[in-house]
Amino acid sequence: MEQLLVPTLCKIDQIIQETPDIRTYRLKFKDDTLMEKYTWLPGQFVEFSILGHGECTFCISSSVTRKGYFDCSIKKAGTVTSDIHNNLDEGDEVGIRGPYGNWFPMEEIKGKNLLFVGGGIGLAPLRSLIQYCIDNRNDYKDFTILYGARTSSDLCYKEEIKEWQKNPSLKIILTIDKAEETWKDNVGVVPKILEEVVKPTVDNTKVITCGPPIMIKYTLLSLDKLGFAPKDVITTLEMKMQCGLGKCGRCNIGSTYVCKDGPVFTYEQLKALPDEF
Amino acid sequence: MSITTFVTDKAGLQKFYEAVIVKNETYAPVEKFGKFDFKRVLTLSECDPDSPIAKTMSIKPLFFPRAAKIMKYTATSAGTNMKEADEDTLAEKRVILGVKHCDARSLQVLDKVYHWDYHDTDYQNRRENTVIISTRCDKADIHCFCTSLDYDVENMDAMDVLIVNGQEGKVYLQGKTQKGETFLDETVTRDALRVTEEVATPEIKKQYEAFAASFRLKMNYKEVNEKLGKLFDSPEFENVSANCISCNTCAFICPTCHCFKISDEKIKDSGVRYKSYDSCNNGYFTLMAGGHNPRPVKYRRWRQRAMHKFVYYKERFGLNLCVGCGKCAISCPVNISIFEVVNKVIN
Repeated sequence: MEQLLVPTLCKIDQIIQETPDIRTYRLKFKDDTLMEKYTWLPGQFVEFSILGHGECTFCISSSVTRKGYFDCSIKKAGTVTSDIHNNLDEGDEVGIRGPYGNWFPMEEIKGKNLLFVGGGIGLAPLRSLIQYCIDNRNDYKDFTILYGARTSSDLCYKEEIKEWQKNPSLKIILTIDKAEETWKDNVGVVPKILEEVVKPTVDNTKVITCGPPIMIKYTLLSLDKLGFAPKDVITTLEMKMQCGLGKCGRCNIGSTYVCKDGPVFTYEQLKALPDEF
Repeated sequence: MSITTFVTDKAGLQKFYEAVIVKNETYAPVEKFGKFDFKRVLTLSECDPDSPIAKTMSIKPLFFPRAAKIMKYTATSAGTNMKEADEDTLAEKRVILGVKHCDARSLQVLDKVYHWDYHDTDYQNRRENTVIISTRCDKADIHCFCTSLDYDVENMDAMDVLIVNGQEGKVYLQGKTQKGETFLDETVTRDALRVTEEVATPEIKKQYEAFAASFRLKMNYKEVNEKLGKLFDSPEFENVSANCISCNTCAFICPTCHCFKISDEKIKDSGVRYKSYDSCNNGYFTLMAGGHNPRPVKYRRWRQRAMHKFVYYKERFGLNLCVGCGKCAISCPVNISIFEVVNKVIN
């Protein structure tokens, strides 16, 4: 009964404490053959169940090019995410449904300069695409990542960012909102750094951005000012979801189902939606 | 398809009902506290297939249960074990008697959302294994407006068997689908006689005309679709929703509302996961972790409800998410009617 909603069991292989309130859960299907066959594209999400507590929607934050596992990066924010942080240890079992939703336009971004603009936990969906693109580096031209957080300890994936910084084919710009004594990088909110430090050119460039709503709002304005066409700006939306299948009626904006038609949208598509959010 | 029609009288109809109940697993409207809900019945005396429309619940729960078990599980330190939920009793071969036309139509509306992209096989099984027998109303209730919507009530094929009360105590039974034809052939008793289309059609039409003339409410759904689509920012949504107490009765009782939530119930080591009704009128419906809520106030939730019914669903699936049954208006504790809401907003 209700077969569409039954999850598959996964084991937590590793838990990585990214920031004081964000952890990355590295998952593997209990059934190895399932894990080998499991595939997804950057931008897609899963329904993550902690049995007895509930189900939540998270994007997959790793790339399919890194075999044998997939990551969900989870910020402690509400009831279920708190239960996940408080109750789950390495070796525990969780339920997974998915992958669901659409993905970043992989064909369109090929051969383009890529500019990633992330804020806070918003780097999670971008990381899936960043890893994918790094593993297929020859398909893309210039590669810039602008990433910001409130404080230096709120920066996600610190170890991985160090590796990115060592990679000469990537340009990494980090920023935090307020100055700190030991911090030597940029200080200022993401849109400001985007305009004053990164100063990207629109030439053959696709921008992929994700972050808190307030950052998205001002980043879109900055990109507009820098001359980017709305169709070249790609973002991924967050909405309350439950089924992920276009049935439960929760995530719609107008006649668009975020879980089916999204979560990835271009700024051009977003502009056409009713101004509900 | 040639249409098979039988004619009988009131007593013959009762015999037909009895034959249906004896030969099939049958659901029919059963009275409790003055309301009729569809229940499994074993004899005709338990139920009333001609129950009044204003007091009859929809058949939605027979296809989309109020709380369906998704799965059962045990979770201990030794590991997690998931078990299939109980067998789906709603997917057995069955017949539903006494379905109203609006209710029968609602299944065609729901088919769209259940059969796009991910197909809900459970819903599909329940649909395929059900024979729907629908009696046409003789008179509209004060809240009815089914004839004003985007379906042809007179010639609809949402039911498998149509029953129409003719003149002078005659009753017509007509197969509307292949399933219904076969069912009639196997089930009608000696009391029913086969009649030609030429005889039956004018009689059935006459009944429809009298029925159609009895409607108090009339609207032009095309005008509603078109105008409402442009009124997202209308301040009128605040006025029409002001009285709403967000009890969600309208959504639970609506034959086309299909929003649901997934919840867990766990005692010690074992638990059950349920899929149960939810409604966009709930304040927490779109509340996200961390406290952000895109529809924090009542008028926004009502806007979503009205627009989903008459704009979004139409855009997406080509049908109105409303069948004009008036159940929401009848059951609303503060007398809000979707008919009035959309008409006030567009005017």
